[in-house]
Amino acid sequence: MRLSRQGTSRIFPVFVIGLFGITILSGLLGTLLPSMNYLPVIGHKHVSLSVWFDFFSYPGIKTSILVTLFSGLTASFGVVIFVFLFITFSYGNALWKIFEKILSPVLSIPHAAFAIGFGFLIAPSGWLIRMVSPGLTGFVYPPDWSILNDPAGISLAIALVIKEFPFLIMVTMGALGQLDIEKTLLAGRALGYKKEQIWLKILIPRLYPHLRLSIFAIIAYSLSVVDMAIILGPSSPPPLAVLILKWFNDPDMSFKLIAAAGSLFLFFVVVLSVLLVYLIERSACFVSESWITNGKRHSFSARFKSIVFFMGVCIIGFTMVSSVVLVVWSLTWQWRFPDFLPAVWTLKFWAKGLVSSFDPVMTTMFTGMAAAFIGLILTIGCLEHDVNFQTNHIMQGKAQNNNKTLYYFLYLPLLVPQITFMAGIQLLLVIMKIDGYWIALMWSHLLFVLPYMFISLSATYRAFDRRLTDQAMLLGRPYMIVLFRIKLPMLLRPILFSFAIGFAVSVAQYIPTILVGAGRFSTITTQVVNIASGSDRRAIAVYALIQQFLPMIIYALAIILPKILYYNKKGMQV
Amino acid sequence: MSLELEKVSILKFGSAIFDPVNIVIKPGEITTVMGPSGCGKSTLLSAVSGSLDAVFTLKGSIRLYGRELLTLPMEERNIGMLFQDDLLFPHMNIGSNLAFAIKEKTSGEQRKTMIEKALKTAGLEGFEKRDPSSLSGGQKARVSLLRSLLADPSALLMDEPFSKLDQSLKAKIRDFVFSQIKRMNIPALLVTHDPLDCPEGGMILNLNNKEG
Repeated sequence: MRLSRQGTSRIFPVFVIGLFGITILSGLLGTLLPSMNYLPVIGHKHVSLSVWFDFFSYPGIKTSILVTLFSGLTASFGVVIFVFLFITFSYGNALWKIFEKILSPVLSIPHAAFAIGFGFLIAPSGWLIRMVSPGLTGFVYPPDWSILNDPAGISLAIALVIKEFPFLIMVTMGALGQLDIEKTLLAGRALGYKKEQIWLKILIPRLYPHLRLSIFAIIAYSLSVVDMAIILGPSSPPPLAVLILKWFNDPDMSFKLIAAAGSLFLFFVVVLSVLLVYLIERSACFVSESWITNGKRHSFSARFKSIVFFMGVCIIGFTMVSSVVLVVWSLTWQWRFPDFLPAVWTLKFWAKGLVSSFDPVMTTMFTGMAAAFIGLILTIGCLEHDVNFQTNHIMQGKAQNNNKTLYYFLYLPLLVPQITFMAGIQLLLVIMKIDGYWIALMWSHLLFVLPYMFISLSATYRAFDRRLTDQAMLLGRPYMIVLFRIKLPMLLRPILFSFAIGFAVSVAQYIPTILVGAGRFSTITTQVVNIASGSDRRAIAVYALIQQFLPMIIYALAIILPKILYYNKKGMQV
Repeated sequence: MSLELEKVSILKFGSAIFDPVNIVIKPGEITTVMGPSGCGKSTLLSAVSGSLDAVFTLKGSIRLYGRELLTLPMEERNIGMLFQDDLLFPHMNIGSNLAFAIKEKTSGEQRKTMIEKALKTAGLEGFEKRDPSSLSGGQKARVSLLRSLLADPSALLMDEPFSKLDQSLKAKIRDFVFSQIKRMNIPALLVTHDPLDCPEGGMILNLNNKEG
């Protein structure tokens, strides 16, 4: 069988849709059954609602749910509103350009590493308070404040906003390419509107549909995040997702039932929140109609602008400084409060950390490379199928684009809380007695790697000048040769970039590693989260930096490799 | 014989974008399709080359030396095409760009001499190792034509190939292209909106835009 422009390339989207659909459905089934008291492996065979009663009567469960709702929804609304404000006031200015530059390295920072650095900054004995102590505060000892792990989850919510902000900005930048920004701004200004008004009234309503799925994904993530919640969230009681993981890991197997009920409940919370946001969107559409057409063109006060600017600077600042503070701590031997810098430095913790993290690092690298590589093949296969669907060389007018379906399926793993269907998959694997295989672990990573790779590559891939491949085909070369000798080499940069993103996503995975790995595989991320509470700050910093360093290496390669390969090809340099 | 378009019409959303086209182009002849921008000139070319966008439906018959083209994928049509842009592959040097076009069966030694000879005809001796981006617009246009011809096409399509060139270069490149078509003795179809581009004595077809 010959792989030609049409035809067989369909296997890629079909494969992705099939396997994604099956995995997620079976994951949900795997939580549904135990939540109904059905888990034959441990002798529960009679379907009943008793598990749900146990769940709702668990001590502190109400607080857990409230904390989850508060931190998750505050973070989601916060980041969406702030992204809109940020585009409105900062599109195209210096701050925006800085963001464009640092976006990828910032996105590659694993959640856990960022959370640890952020914690080291804002803790009562953290860098921020050290900066102003004792000069401004008079503190000679760290104050007795519960900033970190605060009972309401405020520090968790703030960290989530900072971490999700670059992600939503990335999606926005991709979407902006599809809107005629400059023309709209020009047309609007010709009608006497200020730039900010054009953004709020015309561009953001047009932008929103492109962001909708990503916003839903942010909601699902914020409500169900585990690694950041363990590090920054409240501990007694913890947010729901952390509690579910605790139940899941309980030596008493019957807790797995409550864990299943809990994760299903978390799923309902996410579904309801997404519905709520959808309703808000609809009603905003309805209410804003008269506001959009009321003709008001005035600008906003300068003070408002500078607040948004300041917050943008804060986000960049916190992201950067939380990495710097990790570096400082990792090199510390002795650092007394309230000194601004350590008194004695050492490399001892690096030496120790590098040795003890060797095995987890290897597992991380191996899994990440495999997931990103398979992800790349699937991404290119799907995109190629999609692009080719728009050309028909034979006399057929039946080009039905099934890309939309694929898109929704790709987003599914980001819309269902990780812990919900990962727990289900793990329970199913346990039931079938095939848990703890590396291939399952890698597959679970791929579920999250693939969507991000697809999002990051699709815009550039679709924008590829089709005349170049047409020209190559007209020169009489078969499709596969054109693909591998012309198109993919020309797209090397974005392809490697997408690979780097996929790898970074795999490195950051905590829940899939813990659950599907069945405790048999430890990656640098599970190590970081495990030692995050309670261990020596210096050791934690080393581990967090190693975790942060791995994706950076791949990013660096993705930037350097094309430069080396195409050093004498000016047309390939950007 | 040679390149024949018979009752070719292209439909978008069920309505034809121009009147049915009937052309017969003999080997060595160049037929020019003229018309205002947006009248479907380029669309007609992509119908012949096989890169028609899916929103269009094609009716009629296009034959090259008696062989029906419409059922063939583009890489099997054996048709060369020149675009407005040179479309040289930026990640390959000039030599590789040209080698890419030469048929697989050709031996390495033969390839080398073919490339050398081709470059010589265009006054570009010794350009094999050059980076495409280091060439001038006129040089790139010539390499682009050489590349298309090295694939040994049975017909050549040209989509406003001179429109992006400087006035001073235009005539020179045009003469070079036309002389090469004569030398290869293949039918050629040229799309342009510049009356100056039409070769002397060639047929001219005016395409009327139906949508106005």
